[in-house]
Amino acid sequence: MDFLSEVLTWFGEPGRWLGSDGIVPRTMEHLWLATFPMLIAVATALPSGVWLAHRRKGEFAANAIVNVGRAIPSFGLIILAAVFFARAGVSLRFWPAVVALTALAIPPIFTNSYTAIVTVPPQTVEAARGIGYMENEVLWRIEVPVGAPVILTGVRISFIQVLATVPLAAVLSSGGGLGQYVVRGFAQGPAGLVEVFAGALLIALLTLVADWLFSVGERALLPEGVRRLTSADTRAAASVS
Amino acid sequence: MRKPIRSRVFGAALLALMLAVAACGGESGGDATTSTSTGAVTTTAVGEETTTSSSGETTTTAGGPVDGPTITVASFNFPESVILAEIYGQALEANGYSIERNLNLGSRELIFPEIESGAIDLLPEYLGSAIAVGFGEEAPTDEDEAVQVLTDLFAGVGVTVLVPAPGQDKNVFVVTGDFATENGVSTVADLADVGDITLGGPPECEERATCYAGLVETYGLDNLSFESIQEGGARVSALDSGQIQLALLFSTQPVITQMGFVALEGTEEIIAPENVIPVASNEVAEAYGDDFATLINSISELITTDVLLDLNGRVELDAENPEDVATAWLTENGLLNG
Amino acid sequence: MIVAQQIMPLFDWDWIGRNLDTIWARTVEHLALTGVALAVGMVISILLAALALWKPKTYAPITSVTGLLYTIPSLAVFALVAPFVGIGNTTEKFITAEMALIAYTLLILIRNIVTGIRNVPPGVREAAVGMGYRDADRLRRIEFPLALPVIMAGVRIATVTVVGLVTVTSLLGLGGLGFFILDGLRRSIIFPTEIIVGVVLSVVLAAALDLSLLVLGRAMTPWTRRGSI
Repeated sequence: MDFLSEVLTWFGEPGRWLGSDGIVPRTMEHLWLATFPMLIAVATALPSGVWLAHRRKGEFAANAIVNVGRAIPSFGLIILAAVFFARAGVSLRFWPAVVALTALAIPPIFTNSYTAIVTVPPQTVEAARGIGYMENEVLWRIEVPVGAPVILTGVRISFIQVLATVPLAAVLSSGGGLGQYVVRGFAQGPAGLVEVFAGALLIALLTLVADWLFSVGERALLPEGVRRLTSADTRAAASVS
Repeated sequence: MRKPIRSRVFGAALLALMLAVAACGGESGGDATTSTSTGAVTTTAVGEETTTSSSGETTTTAGGPVDGPTITVASFNFPESVILAEIYGQALEANGYSIERNLNLGSRELIFPEIESGAIDLLPEYLGSAIAVGFGEEAPTDEDEAVQVLTDLFAGVGVTVLVPAPGQDKNVFVVTGDFATENGVSTVADLADVGDITLGGPPECEERATCYAGLVETYGLDNLSFESIQEGGARVSALDSGQIQLALLFSTQPVITQMGFVALEGTEEIIAPENVIPVASNEVAEAYGDDFATLINSISELITTDVLLDLNGRVELDAENPEDVATAWLTENGLLNG
Repeated sequence: MIVAQQIMPLFDWDWIGRNLDTIWARTVEHLALTGVALAVGMVISILLAALALWKPKTYAPITSVTGLLYTIPSLAVFALVAPFVGIGNTTEKFITAEMALIAYTLLILIRNIVTGIRNVPPGVREAAVGMGYRDADRLRRIEFPLALPVIMAGVRIATVTVVGLVTVTSLLGLGGLGFFILDGLRRSIIFPTEIIVGVVLSVVLAAALDLSLLVLGRAMTPWTRRGSI
């Protein structure tokens, strides 16, 4: 257990937490590198997914986009983005990662938003129309609330995926949030394995905590009635989960 | 009952297929199969005719194979080191030695334990850095003195030091041409007056006396901060984009002259001579004796700084592979015929 | 201002021609890493799924643990395993990489196997019991084949994802096609051709495997092709 005590020492070093290269600033950077792409992805993919589903168009796209997205290696995407930014003379610390992560974030959000709306029980929608709801009322008062759980699940999956991919950006420059510890440590061989392990612990912790918080938030946000209304199993099977 | 049998057979076939692919392609770790830096899997065994380059050159072993332990040739994780390792390795192969490649291993912090333990048999080292970084001692600025110091240090861990090559590859601190003219800097000491700037280098640079730590202490550069950028390409890009103002590069990287970067002078206080100097494990040096040493030394003789610049240029600017570049150079110098 | 990177062509066909053997070798390496991960992952998943089906109470903890492994980024898992397995030689690197890759497949595979088997229509199950099939037999000969479509869906997803993850092992010194992606970045002047080749071939490989598994799945379940039984 010598190794583990070395890891503990690493955590205890002066400046380790609050210094310029410290855990706290790096965690902040990590979260920012994840959140910024998510904002873009949600702003673009969520409305389009919902809208297309409401109009019952674009089903092929919804399925295809997830399959294609899964096949593209996120590692490759980040470095490919770096190629173009480097040629443009732009610093690699921020934008390549953001572009790649946004591309990564879109598929689950889009597909889940689409599936969520499409699988709202048709009787409910018809009934609403029958009572005299206008189209946008059907959308906002029926379809979106009923579809909300699946949409939120998509956002959660996307966020965790992005959070998990941020560390890869560490190869590009001095960024990558907590990933920098891992990438840097690997480069230093046996001596670096302590940093590697410590970084991994931090990353694992961050992603697990984020996942848990998000799940809790999901449940808190959704009204009880809506959750019971949706048959979670079948709809989850149809979407990304 | 056809269906269950059919699906069972298919299931088994699927598993078998996956395992077969894994078996065929998987590395049998530890044996004579290793990966070169470019990923081509080469198997070398004593007594076999070996193909040493992907351009299809076959070398015949002169005088037959040489008996003795397999020589594990290693390199650091940058192209020049790989080229050098390939040069020595391929020349050895051409002369009947059996070698195993373990290239692109990492930085000195990673490799040193391996060479001390005898896991690595041949490594093209760099004189000054080996002393300063490898052993943590101060490297003398005189070449002969440095060689003596290194020989003694390595002898203590069972490693033989061979004759140094004339070519040197030193750390240089580089700014863009524009930066140099705008701020009137030509030496490292000049940097003290330019305001807050950042040095970009690999992670291990931060603590090294031959790098960031040394710069700050010896030249009083309080205005200098450090950013860790592992990969060379990313570092050059950072310099270009202004993310960093000062970059750690190597004196034999053609990108410096190609892009009009300025390597700042006045670094003798922290940078010692950095001749290429091959080191070999005692086991191998003693097993093969003089023939081995003579062969290696005869190659080292020909490696000048210009040669290094040329070879690096072929990899960096012409996008050739280090192993091909090594083969071409050996052929040009008539060294591949035993 | 000319940026250093602009010296390099965006795509250089010559380089590909010169390096076909390396490209092939790395593709094989990629397949090997993927294949072993899927094969071992499948074996472990079948065992754990069987356990979950036999003792339903174990399903929740099994899903929790494998879900944990799934959530933690693969790079972190490599990093957690590496200090204990080592990364000194190729074998150690392979094992470290595989442990993380296998761990990643477990959640998807186990969940799909269990869901697939549970979704077998109860009528069919009852009929089988009525015909005299005992538990293990029934599982093997009736339920498993019927669950195949769902299971294969899981295998396909796992395979495609693993192909992507293998590229990350380049940071350990392996990488398969990921080697090219990292190597292109390593050179003093970033070399786009290599990177593009690495990415494109990874996608092609993923698509090819996905398609093959789709065809294989259809071949194994001829009844689904003819519509409902």
